[in-house]
Amino acid sequence: MKPFDIVIVGGGGAGLYAAMEAMKTNPSLNIAVLSKVYPNRSHTSAAQGGANAALANKAKDDTVELHIFDTIKGSDYLADQDAVEVLCSEAPKIIRELDNMGTPWSRMDDNTIAQRPFGGAGRPRCCYCADKTGHTILQTLYEQCLKKGVQFFNEYFALSLSVNGSRMRGLLALNIKTGKVEAFASKTVIFATGGYAKMYWNRSSNAAGNTGDGQAIAYRAGIPLKDMEFVQFHPTGLRKSGLLVTEGARGEGGYLINRDGERFMARYAKEKMELGPRDLVARSLETEILEGRGFDSPAGKYIHLDLTHLGADLIKSRLPQIREMSMQFEGVDPIEEPIPVRPTAHYSMGGIDTDNFGRTVMGGVYAAGECGCVSVHGANRLGGNSLLDILVFGRIAGRTAAEEVGKFAPGIIPESEIAEKTEELRSFMKPSGHYERYGALREELGQTLAMNVGIFREAPLLRKGIEDIAALRDRYQHVRVFDTSDVYNTNLIQVLELKNMLDLAETVAAGAYAREESRGSHTRVDFPVRDDEKWHKHTVATLENGTVTLGEKPVTMGRYELQERTY
Amino acid sequence: MTVTEPHIEEAKKDITFRVFRFNPQIDSKPYYDDYTIQVERGITVLRSLNYIKEHLDATVSFRAFCQAGICGSCAMRVNGLSKLACTTQVWEVLEKCREPNVIKVEPLRNLPLVKDLIVDMDPLVDKMKHYSNWVESTMPEEKMGKKEFLISEEEFLKYDKATDCILCASCVSECSILRANSEYVSPAVLLKSYRMNSDSRDAIHDVRLAELVKDHGVWDCTHCYRCQETCVKSIPIMDAIHGIREDAIERRGMKDTSGSKHAEAFMSDIEKKGKLVEATLPIRTNGMAWTLKNLLPMAMKMIVKRRTPPPPPLVKPTKGIRVFRSMFREMSEHVREDHKSHNK
Amino acid sequence: MKRYAYYLSCINESMTKEVDRSIDLWQKDLGIELVKMHESTCCGGSNLDYVSPKHFALVNARNIAIAEKMGQDLVVSCNTCLMTIRSAKKKLDETPELKKEVNDILKKEGLEYRGTSDVRHLLWVLVDDVGIDAIKEKVKVPLTNYRIAPFYGCHILRPSKVLGHDNPVEPSSLDQLIEALGGKTIPYEHKNRCCGFHTLLVAEEESLNVAAEALEEAIREKADFIVTPCPLCHTVLDGYQAKALKQAGDEKNSIPVFHLSEMVGLALGYTAKQLGIKRHIVT
Repeated sequence: MKPFDIVIVGGGGAGLYAAMEAMKTNPSLNIAVLSKVYPNRSHTSAAQGGANAALANKAKDDTVELHIFDTIKGSDYLADQDAVEVLCSEAPKIIRELDNMGTPWSRMDDNTIAQRPFGGAGRPRCCYCADKTGHTILQTLYEQCLKKGVQFFNEYFALSLSVNGSRMRGLLALNIKTGKVEAFASKTVIFATGGYAKMYWNRSSNAAGNTGDGQAIAYRAGIPLKDMEFVQFHPTGLRKSGLLVTEGARGEGGYLINRDGERFMARYAKEKMELGPRDLVARSLETEILEGRGFDSPAGKYIHLDLTHLGADLIKSRLPQIREMSMQFEGVDPIEEPIPVRPTAHYSMGGIDTDNFGRTVMGGVYAAGECGCVSVHGANRLGGNSLLDILVFGRIAGRTAAEEVGKFAPGIIPESEIAEKTEELRSFMKPSGHYERYGALREELGQTLAMNVGIFREAPLLRKGIEDIAALRDRYQHVRVFDTSDVYNTNLIQVLELKNMLDLAETVAAGAYAREESRGSHTRVDFPVRDDEKWHKHTVATLENGTVTLGEKPVTMGRYELQERTY
Repeated sequence: MTVTEPHIEEAKKDITFRVFRFNPQIDSKPYYDDYTIQVERGITVLRSLNYIKEHLDATVSFRAFCQAGICGSCAMRVNGLSKLACTTQVWEVLEKCREPNVIKVEPLRNLPLVKDLIVDMDPLVDKMKHYSNWVESTMPEEKMGKKEFLISEEEFLKYDKATDCILCASCVSECSILRANSEYVSPAVLLKSYRMNSDSRDAIHDVRLAELVKDHGVWDCTHCYRCQETCVKSIPIMDAIHGIREDAIERRGMKDTSGSKHAEAFMSDIEKKGKLVEATLPIRTNGMAWTLKNLLPMAMKMIVKRRTPPPPPLVKPTKGIRVFRSMFREMSEHVREDHKSHNK
Repeated sequence: MKRYAYYLSCINESMTKEVDRSIDLWQKDLGIELVKMHESTCCGGSNLDYVSPKHFALVNARNIAIAEKMGQDLVVSCNTCLMTIRSAKKKLDETPELKKEVNDILKKEGLEYRGTSDVRHLLWVLVDDVGIDAIKEKVKVPLTNYRIAPFYGCHILRPSKVLGHDNPVEPSSLDQLIEALGGKTIPYEHKNRCCGFHTLLVAEEESLNVAAEALEEAIREKADFIVTPCPLCHTVLDGYQAKALKQAGDEKNSIPVFHLSEMVGLALGYTAKQLGIKRHIVT
């Protein structure tokens, strides 16, 4: 294979936008997009609610400034303010750009793009297409990439960066259809592989493949990860499956009700009620459940998300997917009765440490979207800012890589490295006396994370979590792949994904243990207050001698001073 | 408000999953493996397959990703019907078992088999490219991002349902014509094409339409409605296919292709006689030469059997044809008015 | 004697005359009277709906209005006519403006579409109104020893939102009728599949491939004959059978295809000659 100028790992919103922008910036570049699924399957499709942009279509007095403030406040002041400024000021442009390319936005009466209220936002600025916004954005981007003739390598599983000293020379990936390890020599690599919240497994709303592949590869290559302890729990996951009920359901006027029939959010966020920021609402739900005001069922304790008062017409036109999912996965029609929900691990604020241009510390390696951490979400992401993040920073990473590609020499990946990697994969298949089942490890990892590194955290639990993860990492050495065939070996892929989750879980737990304060999504029962003096800083996790080492990085401030965060 | 404890009686059953197996490296032909597991009410087919893969046989291969019915990865045939494994409850397919409590799980049809339940999606992607399944914006790239298009809710509603498509390929698997000819455009691509052609932001409507009316295109659909019936997102795919045809006739005229000529014959016959004049339908659709070459042997057999349709002069007009015609023409006036006001 | 407004399908007026001929023979035996609607017009054959949606609505509003004037349900014995007229009815019932526009024109003929008559297939009338038990009692020559492949065809099943009688995946009404007449239905994968008729003149090769698959399965499963409630399916499966099988590489085999009405006639004691079965291409 001819060496590439840019290899993009991941075909979701960030990866596709990066590809388009890189081609636009320099059409002569040789660019590849690798994706372990067909790009249109990517998890961007699951984002239901929308993307924030201060278009001021609905609230005429909305401004980019207000969006910036809401985002910084929402982040519990951990976001870098210069990065947030980029995010919010690029927002209107990028939403219009999508509109110009054919994204089917819902419309207002004056034919402009429709906007709805969203958690933590002072104005209704979330642009949407019914409750399928991510899906339609992903379709648009995929269609445009097909139009532009982007070179796709579909169903390729990224394995490792090829690094010589400190010089990156490309990427090794497994061709899932053939089972061959292939080398993608490249001047630059952009990671856009999405989040890592699937490590919570059954207590996660994420796709099975959101296993933090890019973060884990970068981490193993010595690139630091930032703020990994910040995992967002979405307040309203379906009781049985953890699947998500969009915040849009509350944006449209849904109520959260406990078993006493009370709209309990009045006690936690008097003014914003159900539309408080996610971390606050998730904690409120969990508190209600812990204090015995939840409903009980064989499938676990839960709270009611009540939409019945919204009426059949609104539910059918604005929230059709939610209705379908409630019926399919809970047997509940939200027109008739409330939806049973509980918090579910949903989003990873942490990720590969990048600057505002997507650059990492390693020359030629970039990251964007949920995979990266700029950071624009800080300790807590606002609803409607994740689609925005992947679009804005996907585009920036694509452009930056295209502009900087000349700085890096073309890489050559030696054959021996391919052979070694192939041998490493084969070693999972060798019969041995004692072996572990990947399914069991995965399940246990999810359980210990949910129990010990979940919504409410404290030192003894976290220590237990860290021990459990270490034990699981040991047991992983004995995991066996039973499918020995080359063609489409999903058994092997799942085992490799588990490795990525285990490596990252260690960084999440370590960060959570170290951070002795409560901020945003990170709630320490033993340190219930935000401690700006000691902890107004990012944590940075690096792999040294096989284990995680924590460092820190200052938060970039700007116009907004630290304030207490109330809603 | 009183709240009653929900008491859910979780029924359990032993279910056998009869899974289609084929590994091209080892097997010369496909076979089925049976896996019997205990399944609770409320469990989906995908969760059952995951269980089988984790506990009984790690080599069973299938795609799955979001597990929430939005990514389209896990489409497969369950008891003969193409659907998403992740949104299909085991309980709801039990009644359709040929053998009691044996659920057959097979790969999608009409796409090349890769392994077990996995098929190759590339042919579908290639067709999306061939039929330009994207909006080619009327706005030049350098101007993008500055201004929104103003689009009415009415226009949005035209393609709203069509944009629900998750390209799971269930319709592709069920299509009657694709089964007969793999070159056929396929329902999913017709749906996407319709969606693009209804979008006022798109600049290549006519180019796309020109491709759609060619061989293996929109006129080859045989109206079997299998696509629509199987669609996991309940999209009225046939409405989209008919939408393209309506558009083709409107923009390209009735005499454009054999497909449109065939369709037009219904209109003109009904107006003239109130009945279809079948005898000349082949000639009007494909011309005299084609008819003689293709249908002459058949016609001979039919004459022997006295099955031939009556020649046009002998097709008796419907009773009361005069009033009928005047009503039909009055409606034509309405249609002309509609077009005029629409074009304004 | 229950009366129905019987819609005259174009194809039964021309190529498949044996359908109405055989119904005429036995309708009174089963206690029903199908009153022919001589003023009805072609339904548009699942084509007019996209050539001109408004004419489609007008023509079928009129067809139904005629039945309503007769005070009876409209009964058809062609699947495509069934689907077409039913979908027009659905459209008219769901769109008051369209209904009004159409009725303003229908006034000329003194007709009004009200939506009071149902549109049904003869098969449904037999199974639901006459009833399986009553039919069993009337059987004179039970079809014992016959292995029968029930070919429902598409437009009696799909779109199910329009048809709604049988389960589109596992239809049963025709099977029930066959059993009532003493026959044995075979498990037939193609029972709810397509015959290919609607593309016969546009994409013949594809159509015949579709038909050949249905024929081959019936032959392979050793059916004695195929029965279909649709004259269009019959036209392909019978009229084009040799060509379809030849295209599929089979020049040896053949299989008779009966209309629903003929099968009923045989069991009620009428002869093949009376029923017009000799008119089939494959006999």
